[in-house]
Amino acid sequence: MTRGKLAVSMVLGGFFLQALSYFFLAAPLGIPTGVEYSNPRLPFAPAIFIAGVMLVFIAAIVYELLPDRDGGE
Amino acid sequence: MPRYGMVIDLDRCTGCRACMAACKVENNTPEGSFWMYVFRFEEGEYPNTRIWFMPRPCMHCDNAPCAKVCPVGARYKREDGIVATDWDRCIGCRYCEVACPYSVNYFNWRDPEENQYVNWKDPELEALSGGVIPPYKNPDLDRPCGPEKRHIAGASHVEGVIEKCTFCVHRVEAGKTTACAANCPEHAIIFGDLDDPASEPSQKLQRKSSFRLLEEAGTHPRVQYVGGTPHGHGWRQIQPAGKRS
Amino acid sequence: MQAKLERLPFGVGQLTPKYLTFVMGMLVLLAIGLLSYGRQLSEGHIITGLRDIGSMGGATWGLYIVFLIYFVGVSFAGITIAAMIRLLDVHYLKPISRIAELITVTALILAGLCILPDLGQPLRGITNLFRYARPQSPFFGTFTLVVSGYFFASLVYLYLASRPDAATCAQVPSRLQGLHRLWAAGYRGTPAEQHRRKVASFWLAIAILPLLVTAHSTLGFVFGLQVGRPGWHSALQAPGFVVMAGVSGVGLVILVAALFRRLYGAETRLDDRIFRWLGNLLMVLVLAYLYFMVVEWLTGAYEGHQHELKLTKALLGGDFASTYWLAVICLVVPLAILFGQWVRNQFSLTQLVVAGALVNVAAIAKRYLLVVPSQTHGTLLPYGTGSYSPTSVEYAVVLGVIALGCLIFAIFVKVFPVIDLTDGAE
Ligand code: SF4
Ligand code: SF4
Repeated sequence: MTRGKLAVSMVLGGFFLQALSYFFLAAPLGIPTGVEYSNPRLPFAPAIFIAGVMLVFIAAIVYELLPDRDGGE
Repeated sequence: MPRYGMVIDLDRCTGCRACMAACKVENNTPEGSFWMYVFRFEEGEYPNTRIWFMPRPCMHCDNAPCAKVCPVGARYKREDGIVATDWDRCIGCRYCEVACPYSVNYFNWRDPEENQYVNWKDPELEALSGGVIPPYKNPDLDRPCGPEKRHIAGASHVEGVIEKCTFCVHRVEAGKTTACAANCPEHAIIFGDLDDPASEPSQKLQRKSSFRLLEEAGTHPRVQYVGGTPHGHGWRQIQPAGKRS
Repeated sequence: MQAKLERLPFGVGQLTPKYLTFVMGMLVLLAIGLLSYGRQLSEGHIITGLRDIGSMGGATWGLYIVFLIYFVGVSFAGITIAAMIRLLDVHYLKPISRIAELITVTALILAGLCILPDLGQPLRGITNLFRYARPQSPFFGTFTLVVSGYFFASLVYLYLASRPDAATCAQVPSRLQGLHRLWAAGYRGTPAEQHRRKVASFWLAIAILPLLVTAHSTLGFVFGLQVGRPGWHSALQAPGFVVMAGVSGVGLVILVAALFRRLYGAETRLDDRIFRWLGNLLMVLVLAYLYFMVVEWLTGAYEGHQHELKLTKALLGGDFASTYWLAVICLVVPLAILFGQWVRNQFSLTQLVVAGALVNVAAIAKRYLLVVPSQTHGTLLPYGTGSYSPTSVEYAVVLGVIALGCLIFAIFVKVFPVIDLTDGAE
């Protein structure tokens, strides 16, 4: 059960990071009217997006490979 | 804050291409690239022909497709209306070039030393020049521009980077007008603050009816033309600049 | 030891002279490609056929971008087929799923490598994208979604799907045993593990499908959102991309699967049912694409906007006519083959392979026709007509990239069975 919860929270966390980076941390969307449209609002925001994408899919690996704690071995 | 723009009077332009030369001298652009380009058009059948001319700088669009598509924000719009290219950030993907409806972007296809009209790396030439700073380099112009302090103008070009008309931002920030406007013998190119109704270009716009190129593309160019009509179907270009080897 | 080594299936771990010759050949091609790229780095892009659009009369995106799109398109197939097998529960297709996934991963690597030679500042390209990438640029989608996300997703998929086979292989003593053991990561096939595997791959498949459509559509948007280029600005661009991606990808899966069936005599594992299914899928996709092509053609010719008209003329009867009609033939002939097979309910692998090869030629041609003519014949200001012909440097670099893809395949085949061992019924 915890395995499932961990995986699901990783997926949700990953999507959250993606959305956060895409809409709020990277360069703003809209018609560029000033310098601020060319810079990410937080440095290295795009890397956060990529980390989010990776997190989502690493969840699958974690889900499968996490060793059993409750006497599975 | 002023918002710069350009008004080009087609009634006055004689197609002498002095602006093209002035731009080359000011910005030391590489061989084959024309930040300012003058079309020479011909219309009708002989003997009833008419020719006219149309200078074409970068339009510094208010809704600039090039600035929208740049993946890294090297091409950006400034508050003063100028669309600038950061030569230290551009990755050379040339996406801005394909996105621009006016085809005004030029890429640095090779090392700028070899890219001028003579090859400055040629040993023969090097022996003659004795390693002095070649005349096409002007370190005075290579300072960062604007409050954002980015390398967007100057005279040393960077290989593998896109560039285009800068509205002579280094001159404008020093309170001067653009090189093409300063050198036009007919005073056909007028540069200034379009937000100020008393400025010369604004005055001109009030007096004569104006049009902008490819209005239908929705780019809102900051370069406006007066005293002429947009080119239509029947126009032929005469004496185009050729393809570079 | 030697006798037992041979028990590793499908030639894993065995090097034959033929295989070594193939690898050598590919290495030579790769070396030529690298040398050419080195030349381009030192002399600049001036030695390619690319030039500026407009007064310089050239195309600024050329062969590199053509193959970038082609490879991203090809990568579509693998993961779609794998995901479809999962979601639709088509068990008899399982043996080709690994081939398909491997095509995806390889093609994405190659796509990434095709971007680099196109960039004027490749090093900045790598660092600046992490630092400054802007969501507003369709390239953001291409680089982060397609290349990172999609690549990563298919890698995870490939890995998880191959664990049971790794566990099987790890029981065979060989030089690769250690690797296989590591790969299997303790998979023993207990019911609990099988259940987890099922759940995980089901949800992965569900997660990948939307990613897939978004990723390929963004690549379409790279072109489709550009008002400044006649022939690009079209709402059909994104769906057209997805369909064409499917056509080329399925075609390539057919080619590669047929090759491995021949090499390993795997007629029983890769049976005719699989190829029939692939053939029918390809037929539907080609049909859909031809429909898109007709719509595109009609819009260009009917709309009568001068720029679109000029472009359509250049495509149908002008400078690009030979390429255009080649692409059409390479789509219509496969369609005829596949339709004939379907109607008469006959099946011939040779014909299917021909169809697969032809649609790939068509795909490359169509990608070329998308990228280049809009630049040379599509300037909105009257600059006059431009031209573009790739130079030997560009051909060499692209061939080198393709050779690298073959090498990745060649190496993978020798360390891991490329055809699924376990049956669909678990
Ligand atoms: S004319 Fe072209 S390069 Fe200049 S701002 Fe407009 S789109 Fe950008
Ligand atoms: S070539 Fe440079 S300025 Fe143009 S889109 Fe690419 S990174 Fe931006």
